[in-house]
Amino acid sequence: MDSDSNRTFDISEEDIYEAMKEIEGYLDITPGDFRALYAIAHRHAITRLATSVKAGDVMTRDVVFVEKGTPLAEVADRMAREGVSGVPVIQDQKVVGVISEKDFVFAMGGEALRSFMAVVAHCLGNKGCAALPMRHQAAEHIMTQPALTVSMETPLSKVANIMAENNLNRVPVVDSEGKLLGIIARADIVQTSCTVIIPSEGMRPSSEGVA
Amino acid sequence: MNYFRKMMGTTKSPPAVSLFEILWSWLGAFLGISCVALVHYHLLGEGAELIMMIGSFGASAVLIYGATKSSLAQPRNLMGGHVLSALIGVALYQIFHDHLWIAASTSVATAIAVMHATKTLHPPGGATALIAVIGGEKIHALGYLYAVIPVGLGALMMLIVALLVNNIPKKRRYPEFWF
Repeated sequence: MDSDSNRTFDISEEDIYEAMKEIEGYLDITPGDFRALYAIAHRHAITRLATSVKAGDVMTRDVVFVEKGTPLAEVADRMAREGVSGVPVIQDQKVVGVISEKDFVFAMGGEALRSFMAVVAHCLGNKGCAALPMRHQAAEHIMTQPALTVSMETPLSKVANIMAENNLNRVPVVDSEGKLLGIIARADIVQTSCTVIIPSEGMRPSSEGVA
Repeated sequence: MNYFRKMMGTTKSPPAVSLFEILWSWLGAFLGISCVALVHYHLLGEGAELIMMIGSFGASAVLIYGATKSSLAQPRNLMGGHVLSALIGVALYQIFHDHLWIAASTSVATAIAVMHATKTLHPPGGATALIAVIGGEKIHALGYLYAVIPVGLGALMMLIVALLVNNIPKKRRYPEFWF
């Protein structure tokens, strides 16, 4: 963590020396002390931003989801059409699980085949498609449950930790009753972190028309 | 090994200031010390019991006219550092006047400690505390009045000049904070 934050801020004593020359008057600090101060202040700023941005600020509200009883053929079809690699599974508006590509791969290979390439190899070296046995199953049969969820108020840093610790690519955002409000994908976090730290062209008020 | 390596230093000296800064520092110090010196030499004079000028004001001038942004140069530090150090110097002289080396060393050391603890660190305060011990008969005769005249009043005059002079140029300002 420490070495990571040092790598990102990377301000040299030369930079500081040049900046000090631009400020009129005698500054009662050495470039070395300023650099140390800056590194710590930078870390504080990152922490502040990480806790001030909440899940509700970055989540996608228009969520693609399926019902608990949705047939897997339809689940796969919807995921393919919408171009998502995972969907929350809903029962009575409440999130009861999540289905991702990973769940399909696992379901196709059972315990033995734990990667997509293993499934491909299995199909090519064997007889027919490994997906066929799932034809009569529904979402609830292969979904990962219970779903790990976060609330609107969860700091983005905590969402990121939950994803990293559980190796998830998306986390549904739910209200206090467990009803689906939105979803946060890994990419949302990367994008938010980057725009917070290095504002993109679109974020700057001067340049307009960039989405 | 690390102990000796620390003596090598780790960073470089800050950049030099501009000629503009040098000239304004000169002018501020000239006017500030002039005010105190005029009172000292002409209003009070040689024979007077009171004095206005002490050596530590020269050091204060470096800070409040030459390093106006420094936290050591701010009004809280200037006034607090001088007055607290003066009180400490007088008290320790009166306690240890039979052992002047103890009075001298404890007054400076204690002044630094108290200035740190009260967030009023002002390097000339160390001199102010020391002068209470080594300043001679005239200073010893003042007792605790030393903390008011010359120390408090002299520092106040220098502060007023600093406020008036340092804020004339557009690119300069003083203070950064009051308390």
